[in-house]
Amino acid sequence: MPREPMLARTFVELADTLVDDFDVVELLSLLVDRCVEILDVSAAGLMLVAPEGDLRVVASSSEAMRVVELFELQSQEGPCLDCYRSGQPVLNQHLGTVDGRWPNFTPVALEAGFRSVHALPMRLRGAIIGALNLFRTHEGPLDATDVLAAQALADVATIAILQHRAALEAQVVNEQLNHALNSRVLIEQAKGVLAERAGLDIEHAFARLRSYARNNNRQLVDVAQDVIDGTLSAGAIDSGSHRHA
Amino acid sequence: MAGNRLLRILAEFSARGGTESSARLCEVSADVLAMTGAGIMLMSGDTQRGSVCSSNDVSALIEDLQYTLGEGPCVDAYRQDRPVLEPDLANPATARWLAFTPPAVAAGAEAIFGFPVQVGTIRLGALNLYRDQPGALSDDQHADALVMADVAARAVLAAQAKAPPAELAAELEAGGNFRFVVHQASGMVAAQLGIGVGEGLVRLRAYAFANDRMLSDVAEDVVARRLRLE
Repeated sequence: MPREPMLARTFVELADTLVDDFDVVELLSLLVDRCVEILDVSAAGLMLVAPEGDLRVVASSSEAMRVVELFELQSQEGPCLDCYRSGQPVLNQHLGTVDGRWPNFTPVALEAGFRSVHALPMRLRGAIIGALNLFRTHEGPLDATDVLAAQALADVATIAILQHRAALEAQVVNEQLNHALNSRVLIEQAKGVLAERAGLDIEHAFARLRSYARNNNRQLVDVAQDVIDGTLSAGAIDSGSHRHA
Repeated sequence: MAGNRLLRILAEFSARGGTESSARLCEVSADVLAMTGAGIMLMSGDTQRGSVCSSNDVSALIEDLQYTLGEGPCVDAYRQDRPVLEPDLANPATARWLAFTPPAVAAGAEAIFGFPVQVGTIRLGALNLYRDQPGALSDDQHADALVMADVAARAVLAAQAKAPPAELAAELEAGGNFRFVVHQASGMVAAQLGIGVGEGLVRLRAYAFANDRMLSDVAEDVVARRLRLE
């Protein structure tokens, strides 16, 4: 298939995958595989910056140890790291002639059979989140349309990752919301239980629960749970709430 | 264009002081969608958590009914994860919500719609819309409602994101109605009858249903010691 329709088909495929509950690793794997099919390259990988600030490989078109190792090496040096740090594409690096630039990376890449390497930044507005890395087994510059296509694929990957992160963040907040509401329900129930057992109104029951928790250095929600379970009696709450008061 | 809808809705919010106040979500929903009233319910699993807001008394009642009865358009929209549309509540094509419908119609809800409130696959609850005249939503209204539900979900999460850990955001608590009195009453009933708090809630619901009353009203009476369940 010629490149243009193949590229278009890939974008449709990626857009289809980019639904609410997409698996980001699966999508990125698909993306690096398509890079190899569409672009004139023999291996592709995506590296993302980890929270600690170093680059880590998240998808590789090849599972071969020698290829994976090439990505791992780049947390220290290499085209991906340079691309990530500068925010600029690193193109047409012929491994036979770059000697001094990446002393550890270059010999491993040459030994793996690669002759040239390219890295494109994954960026959105000001933020750089990683790089797309392309390897070829021959020298010669990457065709200008290949560069454009590669950058477009890197941009899709960026959007996918940012969307995934936003979804994770939303999930965490939603869990916090549920947790907050659950804790609150327990406290309200305990107010009712204590109000009934001690013959208090709800406000006074709450005041007593709160001073008990404070005097005994305990979380209110834990005290509430004990009151509901019956392991803390109304009498114990009463004496415990006056101790330092 | 969905983008234009979103811009229009967000512009409506900023004209009223921004999405900062979750209580304003319902007012804006009703206005933007040309509905008589709107409400947003929070749900989790099988539990109706309470209300983020309601734009008028009928919307509050519609939420209360669903909270008491466990059925209605919001409950269905949340559980089935899709919009639930009833353009003619008094004469529905298919009868549903047998307990919910008569009091809702009596209060003036002639058409009623529920939209899931969610961010991606994270489901928070449902947006409830009603109108005092029967009639289906236009395509534009339907599309606006989907965007509105999305805005509501993000606003609720944005509000909660500011809260200290394990606490409900003050803004949500101030603007909403989480029916804490029902849980207080469950605790009291549990202590009175020597049963668990979960069963206490079941008893309260059963009493409310049998006596044709709202769960929150029954709970108020129990907490004020005007009512004691036997």
